[in-house]
Amino acid sequence: MAASLAMPIVPVAALRAQPVVVQQVGSKPAADTLRNPPVLRNISSRPHTVEVNIVAAPARISVLPGRLTDVYAYNGSIPGPTLEAREGDRVIIHFRNELPEATTVHWHGVHLPANMDGSPFDPVPPGGHYDYIFNIPRGTAGTYWYHPHPDGRSEYQAAMGLFGAFIVRAANDPIATLPEKLLVLSDNRFRPDGSIEFADSNSTQSNIDMENGREGNVLFVNGQVMPSIVIRKGEVQRWRVVNASAARVYRLAIPGQVLLHVGSDDGLFEHAVEKNDIVVANSERVELLVRGTGKPGSDVELMDLPYDRYMPQTRPADWNTSRALLDLHYSDRVMPAPVTLPTTFRVVPALDTATATVTRTVVLSQGMINGHTMDMSRVDMQASVGATEIWDVENVVGMDHPFHLHGFQFQVIDRNGVPEPFRSWKDVVNIPKHEAVRFIVRYADFPGKWMFHCHILAHEDHGMMAVLQVR
Amino acid sequence: MTRTFLTRLLAVSSLISAVAIVGWVHQSPDEAGRVALKSNHPTTSPDDEILLGRSLVLNHDCAGCHGGVSPASKQWLAGMTRPDQEFLIGPCALKLDAKPCWRTRPRNLTPDNATGLGRFTERQIFNALRYGLRPEDTPDVDITSGTPGVGNFPQHPHYLAPPMPWPGWRYMSDRELQAIAAYLKRAVKPVSNKVPESEGPPDFWASAYTVDLIGPYPPPAFPAANERVP
Repeated sequence: MAASLAMPIVPVAALRAQPVVVQQVGSKPAADTLRNPPVLRNISSRPHTVEVNIVAAPARISVLPGRLTDVYAYNGSIPGPTLEAREGDRVIIHFRNELPEATTVHWHGVHLPANMDGSPFDPVPPGGHYDYIFNIPRGTAGTYWYHPHPDGRSEYQAAMGLFGAFIVRAANDPIATLPEKLLVLSDNRFRPDGSIEFADSNSTQSNIDMENGREGNVLFVNGQVMPSIVIRKGEVQRWRVVNASAARVYRLAIPGQVLLHVGSDDGLFEHAVEKNDIVVANSERVELLVRGTGKPGSDVELMDLPYDRYMPQTRPADWNTSRALLDLHYSDRVMPAPVTLPTTFRVVPALDTATATVTRTVVLSQGMINGHTMDMSRVDMQASVGATEIWDVENVVGMDHPFHLHGFQFQVIDRNGVPEPFRSWKDVVNIPKHEAVRFIVRYADFPGKWMFHCHILAHEDHGMMAVLQVR
Repeated sequence: MTRTFLTRLLAVSSLISAVAIVGWVHQSPDEAGRVALKSNHPTTSPDDEILLGRSLVLNHDCAGCHGGVSPASKQWLAGMTRPDQEFLIGPCALKLDAKPCWRTRPRNLTPDNATGLGRFTERQIFNALRYGLRPEDTPDVDITSGTPGVGNFPQHPHYLAPPMPWPGWRYMSDRELQAIAAYLKRAVKPVSNKVPESEGPPDFWASAYTVDLIGPYPPPAFPAANERVP
């Protein structure tokens, strides 16, 4: 690895902790406006270059109102700072690990060289550093994110606060003029003293956490509880939603409004799709258009509706509860001019199934892929650079598994034999209990060892992962 | 458990096959009480192992819970298809509203890929019968111990739900259990029947299948404390 440049690093102490929400006796507390995480500062002056510094370090910040919590944080903030780049940019991340344990940074969904992927094969030791350097391919604008991916410790490190958004923009973004909101969804559990709670090993809760993945009872948007968003009459906002939870699946809906689903993990669709509610499995992203169609002066909530992803043995008693995530206030201010949307957002070229050389069958059972747990010394599949293949991923157990492939974006062909209604680029696909999904993928450009796994972090940590070697 | 079920369980505990198979020569049981099956059809002779497995599946009445009346019936071993085939496990078996209560369901044993045993290996089925381990939760490896964490036995075992009588059937020989697995995987026609997941406690029955409650495997040497040499 090239020696890191002697560049100034943003001191953690200079970043403000989040303010405490003040409760007013006798009236409803004013909700905090949704705040964006800080944006990483580009320290390069070269054109088409984004160069940033990221430090993962322990911190003590206010996660819940009025209390301080020991966390891990990227540059002192939770969510971590947003990495902003454009298609065609060269991205250079000088990463320093000041945690007391090894970590990596995985640039989830991005097409890049294998040794820049932040996989468990390239751990950054405590006190160590790593320069992640890659080019953003044209045509891959989308809402990505970054998070740790060390061997066996992903759930712990993510729960402690390590996750952030990575937005790639297109020069010809068809909806660039729409006001944009970033919503990083996460959940967590706390002890009464405000510390992050992990179940004692061998306790019943620890069994449940291992089966379901660790879920929290406090739901955050950008690290805030029930923040508010204001939308004007006639306005259309573009919401980029990242599910950064370790296991929770969200089913998003806004009462009284039909959502326009315009994008998934790896960018916009060709056309908007109307949806009453949208399931966002963990590590998936969605782009939504939200419209100011409500009665001016009124409020609704962005709801997380119940979704049964669970095995009955460990299903939480309160699974069938709707939860509010944020307050959406319909302002009585009116948009100066009506908003027009393009009918076509982009072209998603088809990966031709006739060029697929093989169909791989991947069986997901509970904690295993094809009947085995992860072995760092074992390669599970071999393929050639440039080959196109079809993957048939089958979930043969009674709970959902969100399936993620590193390095190469794919297109879903069908679900349980029912053809996918339209093409989109994805890197995560939820496989519901006892269902199967087929996707087509081309191993463009980059040889190396690539992980594929269930993105419930507890399952990943316990070995529900395997290795594709592309030569 | 119902009286009928218990009666059925006792009736099939014998290792000697009492079923006359049409077209096959009956042989006398050998010293260990097993019958070797030999074909007298010279042109087509299915594997002895398959026929042994079939014989054991028949005389252990797998179909009594897992469905089908005979190998000629359409739903042969295809799992629960009616609500009355469900089991209530826990105090609710005696008093309907008592808690905790779990509904367990006999699964599809045909080799259907999506809804049956198609995606599990014969070794995983063997491990289910010998150790009670759910094939969907247990890696496809040779297990050489019953102690969690030793010899590939899982640290946190997930057991088949009661009333699956694996604690008794685990005492069949390796050859017999392998034969059952071979029959199920290779000689039964796949049938698509999605049986919902059984309910159960979050420890997947680990506290119900301790040595104190089900006895040791292998069994103690003869004569054990409550036995005598005749």
